[in-house]
Amino acid sequence: MKNRRRVKNKNGIANIYLVLVFLVLYAPIFYLMYYSFNSGGTMHKFEGFTLDYYREVVADTRLMIIVINTLVIALLSSTIATIIAVIGALAIHHVRSRRAKNTLLSLNNVLIVSPDVIIGASFLILFTIVGIKLGFTSVLLSHVAFSIPIAVIMILPHLQEMSPTLTDAARDLGATRRDVLTKVILPIIKPGIFSGFFMALTYSLDDFAVTFFVTGNGYSTLSVEIYSRARQGVSLSINALSTLIFLFTILLVIGYYYLNQRKSRPAVQIAEPVAEAGVPR
Amino acid sequence: MKQLVNTFLAILIVAFGLMFLASRLNSAQGYSGGNTLTIYNWGDYIDPDLLKQFQEETGITVIYQTFDSNEAMLTKVEQGGTVFDVVVPSDYAIAKMREEKLLLPLDHSKLPNLANIGSKFMNLSFDPGNKYSVPYFWGTVGIIFNPEMTKGMDFSSWNSLWDKRLNNNIFLVDGAREVMGMALNSLHYSVNDRNEEHLQEALAKLNKLSPNVKAIVGDEIKMLLANEEAAVGIVWSGDASEIMDENDKLDYVVPEEGSNIWFDNMVIPRGAANIEGAHQFINFMLRPDVAAQNTEYVGYSTPNVPGLKLLPEDISGDERFYPPAEITGRLEVYDNLGKRMLAHYNELFLMFKMNKK
Repeated sequence: MKNRRRVKNKNGIANIYLVLVFLVLYAPIFYLMYYSFNSGGTMHKFEGFTLDYYREVVADTRLMIIVINTLVIALLSSTIATIIAVIGALAIHHVRSRRAKNTLLSLNNVLIVSPDVIIGASFLILFTIVGIKLGFTSVLLSHVAFSIPIAVIMILPHLQEMSPTLTDAARDLGATRRDVLTKVILPIIKPGIFSGFFMALTYSLDDFAVTFFVTGNGYSTLSVEIYSRARQGVSLSINALSTLIFLFTILLVIGYYYLNQRKSRPAVQIAEPVAEAGVPR
Repeated sequence: MKQLVNTFLAILIVAFGLMFLASRLNSAQGYSGGNTLTIYNWGDYIDPDLLKQFQEETGITVIYQTFDSNEAMLTKVEQGGTVFDVVVPSDYAIAKMREEKLLLPLDHSKLPNLANIGSKFMNLSFDPGNKYSVPYFWGTVGIIFNPEMTKGMDFSSWNSLWDKRLNNNIFLVDGAREVMGMALNSLHYSVNDRNEEHLQEALAKLNKLSPNVKAIVGDEIKMLLANEEAAVGIVWSGDASEIMDENDKLDYVVPEEGSNIWFDNMVIPRGAANIEGAHQFINFMLRPDVAAQNTEYVGYSTPNVPGLKLLPEDISGDERFYPPAEITGRLEVYDNLGKRMLAHYNELFLMFKMNKK
């Protein structure tokens, strides 16, 4: 009895802690959303409810073009990056020598932790030397590039958890290399592919530092635009826009959850016991 | 596998659909037409109606891009890769761009409205003879203060900042030249002083200011001051006018020891595609009615003399933004100090920042 109470108490503290953490994380976002409906025009005092700022956002064609640009870049770059990352992860997985594998992984990780500013500046220099005009292409290429390592990191654990006996069995049963890839490996690592894709998507949506260097010729993305507007104090239409984008990302997360829950259930069910057995502990 | 392929195909279809939508919007705006002019300006530094008006009058479509610092703009222009037809840098950036041969000379015969610019704003040290640049806005560096929170203190001298009553009550803008210049001015030296002893003296004096300094901040200084987070701030006059729009209790003063006077100017960078259009645009911005409208929108001080006369008396007669001759006489433009001296200024400023507890 006494013991149980202690356990409960511990959980209570943990829950309070969790609630606090989420409060800290979400409070600024809700604060911003709240003031996007303020007719007063400032973030100090709430005067009355209005949808003016939402109307302003929709009426501002230049801003809408920039929002669409941002979405297009995010979707395209994360798709391309995920495809390349799948190939890359397979290649890294197949490297026999432990040392070479670790080196490749470290090189991949260095790209994740290296500062965006440096990556952005290097891209700017590269593109101008190669002669790629700054704009859509340069932004897309750099977003693909910085998304690949992230997607690789998300996919690789699933490959490592996959039991080698599975592919061997498939081979023994007469599967071609192609069949092994499309019918065994890809379904098993599917959750990794999707999480890689969504990680890449969010990275691309909010990247400022790299994008800042490689935008040009009238082509801009949201992060860059908001930053230069912030110089004159962020207007509430930016709040409205941020609210819309926040809702959009929530939808994405729900979509991701749905994909993982419903459709991939059979694959996960087969994969998990095997994976458990295959993980060296 | 099938699900993977289907999902990614769906994503690609959505992406291309959006792309199509964007190109439709672009052509509806006329951005993809032939006769375009790309302008690279500070964020929110022009009345958007004027761009529309220019478009209607000349048929030239304006592509408008923004930057947030001279350094960011310089990087973009230096590296090339993008085409800009008109850029609006500040004085020291112009000196630097001129040295690095990043500017095209202006054809003065295409700029008849240049005559509207007051003579004291022409032929300045960063561009003798206005070969490359035309003034857009100008302003000063000064003290913005909240009379309610400072209770009758007088800020007509920089030295008033060292008053003990201002403990932890001053915001400084995060600029090496501005803060060092302020300290040098308070010692009656020039903002362009290169004398090592004077500079060390300025640093020592700044260190004594530390207890009064609440924070050294960037552009958020405007919001902080408008919200009365501190009583006093060192800001550019343009920022000051914006802060005072938000919170009319505040007041701005240019100290009598002198201060910096700065200029933002229109230039045509090397690599411009539409040089004819760029001249047309510059000439358009120099028109008195346009300059007046723009001044009212932006709130900085205009160098356009007939334009200033078109403005209401409460703007043109405001001595805080159009100071009388005895003060303007003591204002100095920042010289291009050269790489090494500038690095030294930055280093001294950094030492001050690190010292501050």
